[in-house]
Amino acid sequence: MEKALELSRYCVPFTPFKRKLEESLICLVSTAGVRARSDPPFNLEGDNSFKRIDGSLSAAELAVDDSHYDHGCIDKDVNCVFPIDRLRSLAREGRIAGLTDQHFSMGFSQALRELRETTVPQLARAVAAARPDAVLLTGG
Amino acid sequence: MVTVQRAIEMLGIGSVLITVEPEESAQARPPRALCPRSFVAGHSLGRPNDEALQKWIIMDALELLLADAKPGEVIIRDYT
Repeated sequence: MEKALELSRYCVPFTPFKRKLEESLICLVSTAGVRARSDPPFNLEGDNSFKRIDGSLSAAELAVDDSHYDHGCIDKDVNCVFPIDRLRSLAREGRIAGLTDQHFSMGFSQALRELRETTVPQLARAVAAARPDAVLLTGG
Repeated sequence: MVTVQRAIEMLGIGSVLITVEPEESAQARPPRALCPRSFVAGHSLGRPNDEALQKWIIMDALELLLADAKPGEVIIRDYT
């Protein structure tokens, strides 16, 4: 059987956004190695998993596992890379409707093929299951 | 990161990326992306505990969902 067609990287998938931000639930997705402090850490040598972050947690209840960039700022304020408190504040001000019940983060990995074929599709489906109206993604 | 974003868009969800590596991100062709100029990894949303700046950047990013589509481009803005 022939392999399914893969999207060329020159082709950009694009979903039009038809809502108002004030009516939109936002989901945060990061590759910065963010997790709940109560969860086991990401493996710094390489980790192809992703973790779910409960939408009720504050930045102070989150940790970041990473050894590839300076953590001086994150140690003071995880919102620098994962702005969960700031989104909640924007929701209180009525500028967005709110946050989804779950958010997501991946850690560091160089196993690119496994990421592309397994982790990323699983993560995308998990994000869709959280039923966001829009997704905000952050790197480090 | 852009790989994740593209997968999410393929499921029919609009998204926007905040990146501090605009050249690398642009090569991967993001559906929508904002780069705060000269910010570096570890504080892609700006200074710690600077709530006003962080919210400004978030809203700028989210407003790209409402702006004219420029799929594949990274929008670079100054926040200093």
